[in-house]
Amino acid sequence: MNPITFHKPQTLRDASDLFTQLDNAAFVSGGHTLLPSMKQGFAAPDHLIDLNQIPGNAQISIDSGCLTIGAMARHVDVASSTIVKNAIPALAGLAGSIGDRQVRQRGTIGGSVANNDPAADYPSAVLGLGATVITTQREILADDFFVSLFETALRPGEIITAVRFPVPKSAGYAKFKSPAARYPQAGVFIALFELSIRVAVTGAGASGVFRLTQLEQLLAKQFDSAAAQSLEIDTKELLSDLYATQDYRANLVKIMAGRAIAHMGQASVFK
Amino acid sequence: MAIIHLQVNKQAISQDVPDQTLLVELLRDTLGLTGTHTGCDTTQCGCCVVLVDGVSVKSCTVLAAGIQGSQVTTVEGLSSGTQLHPIQEAFMEHHALQCGFCTPGMMMSALDLIQRHHQPLTPELVRSEMEGNLCRCTGYHNIVKAIVSASEKMHAANLASTAPQVSA
Amino acid sequence: MNSKFELPQVSAKPSDLIQGISLKAVGQPLKRKEDLRLITGQGRFTDDFSLPNQTWAWMVRSPYPHARILDIDKQSVLDLPGVLGVFTGADCLADGLKPIDHSPVPSTQYDVKLRGPNDTAVFVGRHVLLPTDKVRFVGEAVAMVVARTREQARLAAESVLVEYEELPWVADTELAAAPDAPRVWDDLPTNVLVDATFGNQEATAKAFQEAAHVVNMKTRINRVTGVPLEPRAALGNYDPSTQSFTLYAGSGGAVRQKRELAQVLGVDAEKVRVLSFDVGGNFGTRNRAFVEFGLVMWASKKLGVPVKFRAERTESFLSDYQGRDLITEVSLAMDAHGKFLAIKAHNLSNVGYCCVSLSPLSKGSGLISGSYDIPYAVLRSRAVYSNTMATQAFRSSGRPEVIFAIERLIDKAAHQTGMDRIELRRKNLVKPTQMPYTNPVGSTYDSGEYEINMDRALALADWGGIEERRVQAKRRGKLLGVGMANYVESSIGSPKERVDLIVHGKHIEVIIGTQPAGQGHETSFAQVTADLLGVSFEQVSITLGDTDIVTAGGGTHSGRSMRHASTVIALASIDLKAKAKKLLALHLNAPLESIDFINGKFIHSSTHTQLDWFELFQVSQSAELPAELQGGLKIRRDNEMHTPVFPNGTCVCEIEIDPQTGGIEIKNYVTVDDVGRCINPLIVHGQTHGGIAHGVGQALWEQCLIEPDSGQPLIGSLMDYAMPRFDNLPSFKAEIAEVLSPTNPFGIKAGGEGGTTPALAVIASAVEDALLPICGPVEIPMPITPVKIWTALQKAQKS
Repeated sequence: MNPITFHKPQTLRDASDLFTQLDNAAFVSGGHTLLPSMKQGFAAPDHLIDLNQIPGNAQISIDSGCLTIGAMARHVDVASSTIVKNAIPALAGLAGSIGDRQVRQRGTIGGSVANNDPAADYPSAVLGLGATVITTQREILADDFFVSLFETALRPGEIITAVRFPVPKSAGYAKFKSPAARYPQAGVFIALFELSIRVAVTGAGASGVFRLTQLEQLLAKQFDSAAAQSLEIDTKELLSDLYATQDYRANLVKIMAGRAIAHMGQASVFK
Repeated sequence: MAIIHLQVNKQAISQDVPDQTLLVELLRDTLGLTGTHTGCDTTQCGCCVVLVDGVSVKSCTVLAAGIQGSQVTTVEGLSSGTQLHPIQEAFMEHHALQCGFCTPGMMMSALDLIQRHHQPLTPELVRSEMEGNLCRCTGYHNIVKAIVSASEKMHAANLASTAPQVSA
Repeated sequence: MNSKFELPQVSAKPSDLIQGISLKAVGQPLKRKEDLRLITGQGRFTDDFSLPNQTWAWMVRSPYPHARILDIDKQSVLDLPGVLGVFTGADCLADGLKPIDHSPVPSTQYDVKLRGPNDTAVFVGRHVLLPTDKVRFVGEAVAMVVARTREQARLAAESVLVEYEELPWVADTELAAAPDAPRVWDDLPTNVLVDATFGNQEATAKAFQEAAHVVNMKTRINRVTGVPLEPRAALGNYDPSTQSFTLYAGSGGAVRQKRELAQVLGVDAEKVRVLSFDVGGNFGTRNRAFVEFGLVMWASKKLGVPVKFRAERTESFLSDYQGRDLITEVSLAMDAHGKFLAIKAHNLSNVGYCCVSLSPLSKGSGLISGSYDIPYAVLRSRAVYSNTMATQAFRSSGRPEVIFAIERLIDKAAHQTGMDRIELRRKNLVKPTQMPYTNPVGSTYDSGEYEINMDRALALADWGGIEERRVQAKRRGKLLGVGMANYVESSIGSPKERVDLIVHGKHIEVIIGTQPAGQGHETSFAQVTADLLGVSFEQVSITLGDTDIVTAGGGTHSGRSMRHASTVIALASIDLKAKAKKLLALHLNAPLESIDFINGKFIHSSTHTQLDWFELFQVSQSAELPAELQGGLKIRRDNEMHTPVFPNGTCVCEIEIDPQTGGIEIKNYVTVDDVGRCINPLIVHGQTHGGIAHGVGQALWEQCLIEPDSGQPLIGSLMDYAMPRFDNLPSFKAEIAEVLSPTNPFGIKAGGEGGTTPALAVIASAVEDALLPICGPVEIPMPITPVKIWTALQKAQKS
């Protein structure tokens, strides 16, 4: 890897300041996206600002119908948290299905959300639940947060501190894993609230995670998996790769949507 | 450059290495512990898995500087003297290795898995939880047997960690 | 000493050589000797070695599939930190380095004789270490940078400015064979380097004319790569005081590579020492020398420091020797009752940019009739160059392809005629009474009980319960399919092997020239030796891999090792016992005839004095030995065996397809494998499991794809190349059948590749069976990924 200087701030303020002062710096939390990118030459920061030393950013708590997960919470901790399992079991299941066990033991929700990989699992939950991303500077609604492939509304130096999820009546997640990379080729997160239904799809969109408003409207009329069958998905907006044509992805979106609806309260993984 | 202080296999080490040094590079190149291997460049093969503070990590994707003060356990630290660890014995008994290249990472990953569960593992759980380790020689069949067998023996002997049970 | 395998008497059988040997260790599932170092992190893989002052090499690789090299600007990097040198093809040429002579045309007595078009010699492209004229595939090394650290070498290599003139290129196998395709080698009029036809044209044509049924099929077998988990690596060192080279490099045969690389460097073979200890997987990818092996030795000489290289996984995907890539067109003629009358085949193998081994084409050619009694055949075998990485043998070189062809052809015949696919096979299997059986292209199968093994596999797989399980699966929304395939495969391999047996104070050392990468030779060879010499398994040690000690040997490939090793060890043990008897006779001043060898002890019949090997060793140390016993209690024995053996068996596989996603799950996988005598069932089962994984991997997930418009490889990492993993393979039900081969003393066939050989066919067969109700008989090109299954279902449901 290219030479770097590794910084270990003890507070978020120090971390932000460092970012402003240093030239070509990047934040690192779990490191399981950034470090592989650096090894392959896709990212070349001169400075790494380690967020792991800063205390207090990994808490999971629930209050007034909102589940708040600290940005530094590891996937494995979200998956095993009794609070998350009770409040939004599909979210716990989703976290428990990310990558492999070693990735889950290091990766963080803040890192995943900030990166906005079009095939990452978390963005579908954040968008699907209409969560709020809390940063060192402000609060950003999910609908405003995910801009495009690997692009979010975060400003340079802005650090996610937590994600706050409204607790739905129920939620479900279903995904189909790609044979090689093991990312979702389509992952559908469905959240049923008292007054609304939200559906978000990851792994399939050419611009990243997206709301499937068509399905939201169909489910508002009748909440069952048959609604997914009548979806008409515009294939032009979908990713195409070695293991999935656009038609196939569109099909996967419909099937995963149907399975998420049929198995609310959990994350279902298929391959 | 920074001085990295770690415990590696219960030995304190202090090494001055460049900040971009990956844990696997520290282990292999600096400390000469060549039991941990690199097999890929996309964090997918698991040949480099070690335990950091009892948790399995891919040492090719962890900076040494990022785990200051931690306890690292590598394959070289599994046996005590000539006494093999139950996981090593199980791998040998069930012919769970052929070329042996994936084996160190495989055993460390398996150990972590066994220690996270308070009862013996089932083949299904092993198969789903070991996704991060590749083997090209064995077809996995015997590795599953070895891990299930080791988990039975370890739980029977109550050697498993008393860490809180996790289901991830 | 004798090197030809000659039996003591004319009427003797090879198995006579082990008559009276009590088999205690042989056949037992003994735990492996090599495991202790491997499970304690004390393995000795190439990258584990370091030398003082070692430097690092990094290759500059071509971004184009085909381009003329105009200029390589060394100056652009010579001043970068740590850079010690930049080397190009021009430098290699100036120093007189030769191309690597891979001897790619198989030449044992029983290999099918491949020839160039119009019966010319096969043109083998020059495999130079670094090219001077042009680059011929994306990833070809065009220069080497050496620097103090690996990171410095990388940075410099990435900065070397190379000027290319792009040329038209061709990657696709069929397109490459066209007469007007861009030529990879200017020496040939087209890219076709092999075009040979075998068999009986007249009789075959007649059979086809008279046939009641003719079944045709054309299939493309996908290209895969080995992905041994240890990336290839090499550490070269030149010692000016002895003018000799040392190379640490894991391979499939240190002796062979020593010889080849010495030729490249232009030195005598004694000036090169190759050390290949623990090897992290081979599967064929390491059977031939890589350019980096020669380059690091040469660079070490030029720079006066050791030079080390280790491939990134991306480099492995680009430039490890790849496997398979065959187009096969086959036709089967049958009579009205389903008896096979003749087979025609036309095989086209893509060797890549340079011909490294024609083993896949050759071995496959010898087996086109599979396990079946087919009287006549015509086979046209062709090989073609293309702007892709070179291919060579890969796990069961050539046989999965041809077994795929014949077995799928029979499945197709069953659909076409309405005959049952099992009964069609049963009717045509070669019978034990026909053994040894010579097939229509001249391969003589040594032994086998094909029908018995097939029935055993069908029983183990509960063939009779399929329809019931299919109904149950349907209720769960799944399509169940069952595939089956018989296979026969050949194990030939390098015909020569050498062993040194050396008795030490407390153990017996066996020095042998095979090169395992996980097959457990240190264990299985010790089992054989222990029984032959009447010592315990613990008292035998096996030495491999250092050419200063291992002076000759054939390496490991083609399932040759156990058979060749056990035979030469058996012969050597006879010689060693004779020598030991002489020694004891001398020592006791007794007649030679009065010395017997019983249960590991040498006994003087009249006095009943008895010594074991180690006591005799002591004698050999102190005695004044006559000339013929000089050197003590040790023996060297060479052997040459050309006769191939034919492992065989049957495989049954049950899958469930999720029609909504195309997802596929293997529910049951059964094999019965005739490996001849099984020395260590633990090891043989392990080989079967691993072999199955390779075959299933190719059938369902693996592919080396080139982008058709740009010629760029689409597979650069494990993110693109789907692998067998814990969670997509089942546990297997593998049974060993031991039908002893009459060709060698222990009756060994081979167990290393039978898992792979039927796997392609059986998966395709299972998928077709699952989709049959909706799609009719269907051939989905491998790898049969979920998207392809789904697309096939969509297509069928729309029409």
